[in-house]
Amino acid sequence: MDTRQRVSLFFAFIFTVVLLTGSSYAIPAFSRQYGTSCSTCHVNFPKLNDFGKAFKDAGFKFPKDDETFIKVPPVMLGAPAQAELWPHTIFPGTIPGLPPIGLRFNTFFQVLGKNRHNFNLQLPAGQVGPFIPRTDFQPGLFSIFMAGNFGSDIAFWVDDDISVGGSGASGGLGDGYLKFVNIGRFFKLPANVLSMRVGQFELDLPFSPARSWNLSGWDIYDQANIGTSSQNVNNSFALSSAAQGVEFSGGHTYRGYHYSVAVVNQNTSGSSASPANVSPQVGFVSDSNFKDLYGRFSYRFNLERDPASRNETQAAGATGPRDHTYLTLGTLYFYGRSVQRATGVESDGTTKTVITAREPFYRVGADFSFNYRKLNLFGQYLVGRDHNLIPLTPEGFELPVGFIRSNPVKFNGGFVEADYMIHPWLMAIMRWDGVTSSADRINGIGADAGNPPPSPFLSPFRSARNRFTPGVQVLIHANIKTSFEYQIRPQQIVYDPATGNAITNPFRTNSAVAGLEWVY
Amino acid sequence: MKRNVLVVVAVLVVLSLAANAGTISGKVSGVAGESVVYVEAPAGKTFPAPTQQPVIDQKGLMFHPHIVVVQQGTTVEFLNSDSVAHNVFWISIGGNKKLGHNMGTWPKGEKRPFKFDNPGAVPLLCNVHPEMSGYVVVAPTAYFALTDKSGEYKIENVPDGSYKVTAWHEGAKNQTKPVAVAGDSKADFTLSK
Ligand SMILES: [Cu+2]
Repeated sequence: MDTRQRVSLFFAFIFTVVLLTGSSYAIPAFSRQYGTSCSTCHVNFPKLNDFGKAFKDAGFKFPKDDETFIKVPPVMLGAPAQAELWPHTIFPGTIPGLPPIGLRFNTFFQVLGKNRHNFNLQLPAGQVGPFIPRTDFQPGLFSIFMAGNFGSDIAFWVDDDISVGGSGASGGLGDGYLKFVNIGRFFKLPANVLSMRVGQFELDLPFSPARSWNLSGWDIYDQANIGTSSQNVNNSFALSSAAQGVEFSGGHTYRGYHYSVAVVNQNTSGSSASPANVSPQVGFVSDSNFKDLYGRFSYRFNLERDPASRNETQAAGATGPRDHTYLTLGTLYFYGRSVQRATGVESDGTTKTVITAREPFYRVGADFSFNYRKLNLFGQYLVGRDHNLIPLTPEGFELPVGFIRSNPVKFNGGFVEADYMIHPWLMAIMRWDGVTSSADRINGIGADAGNPPPSPFLSPFRSARNRFTPGVQVLIHANIKTSFEYQIRPQQIVYDPATGNAITNPFRTNSAVAGLEWVY
Repeated sequence: MKRNVLVVVAVLVVLSLAANAGTISGKVSGVAGESVVYVEAPAGKTFPAPTQQPVIDQKGLMFHPHIVVVQQGTTVEFLNSDSVAHNVFWISIGGNKKLGHNMGTWPKGEKRPFKFDNPGAVPLLCNVHPEMSGYVVVAPTAYFALTDKSGEYKIENVPDGSYKVTAWHEGAKNQTKPVAVAGDSKADFTLSK
């Protein structure tokens, strides 16, 4: 990667921080179907309240007596009595009476700190860095999302960003899955202990980056473990990446236990392949035979004093129902085997062959969420570790014959966020994000002024990067929101390790971002 | 013979009642849907305590019925028929914010009573479902009516006399006008927002 590319990455990062994290959703289709406001399910869309969590767990249905709430009757794809004829008839289902379509648009404005050009100061003589504007208006996303229930407890979700997808482009699809809710009933298991989801989905993370209410994403979920040039890891997987596979889950996210176990495609290269010899020609998203495993377990303690209220979807307050006072503790674990292929030689030293390293990696995390009335305090801590098998080239050989184990590549970090609802339409946010990665540091600037870091957020001599992000979000209506956040990155000066003199000005750029988004 | 006398007396009593009790009917226009028309309290006159005990249901995320008219002093029962939590609150009665009240939360199948001792419109809300809306209109007298969808109404058994009659419609300004009742009387209203 040359200098210019690295500098362009700087923008790419800034802009994607804003754009990638724009994929949050509230579902106007449900509003239409049930004749109810967004706030029935959302605290501050797309953040779910306790009822919204129960609605989602139930497969986009009211947890009890769903049919009594539907204002637009579903269309029967077979009379319910047809079920008795099965298997001599197609099992009857339904589709929503209205097309279950929601649309979302957002737009942004941002202001960058004065030091935004400090990278360019480090470019080798003769190279001109790209201009970075002080302020910029940005078009956001236009996405379409559909979700609902097909009867028989089969829920569906598809969302797609149609403004960036373009003709033949990939990457527009967000989640697209069918969820078979409560399939445990076929095995005589207690209710809600087993559901299955198939398709492309975001991993069942404690706090959803795809449906985040923040303008910028949580850094730790976007952390890939690339390693340095002297390491052989190149793992571009991040927990926020879309996964394709199958997931089994059970329990509830609004009380008691919740678990999920998923088997998903392994893709650490970040690319897909379309080999010509496979007919009909298809593309592959997996880049190894091994499928990755993801598991999550959480337990939510509803802390209401009144035992009856504790087990209800919402707590009964003196003035009306509200979210519970609760403490959720959770853990997550991801295991994969990243494949690194290289041209090597057989032991004769001349016959060329492909040598393959299979590098196990894992991510393990712990999370909590505490809610008391208008305050929600939550956080995530995550550790990542990749085995690092480096090519072994015996003396006198030009190409490696295999791999040997070297130091693993590790990172850790997380975030803590406090959301406080000053009014039902006004949410104040304070947040800290931190990521510590020696590989990020080594990929950083070092002492070579001619070799600047790939992004302004990496430190030269410290492995940690921190970000404080106060923010405020205002609902203009239940479906229109304006958000503001100020991203403070403690500034850092690059010192020449040989002389101890500063060789560049502070370079971590603070930014202010304002967003406007609406769903309908 | 004795029996005939009784019949005659009964007929006379009924006739005499009918002679000095009339009706007020008419139409509320300028607005769409149901309105409420009620007779304001004549000075110094009191009414026997009402005996009706209407029920307002919360079903399918809606108040049923949407508008209930009651005489001052009536106890209204609020029922929750939904398997989701609701509450009922109002921020004012007849525009008086001091009369705001929150009834709390109660589960499916249960009723909670509230006695409306102050006249005026009570806008019912639910703090979980902001789209939910209902009204209790507390009339100061026993003479009131809910119009039909086209705005037609009829108030029966109003003793002859001079009254002030008020028309109320959700979101519109109240209108009060004098009506002299002698037998069948007419009073039309045109409301505006
Ligand atoms: Cu309600």
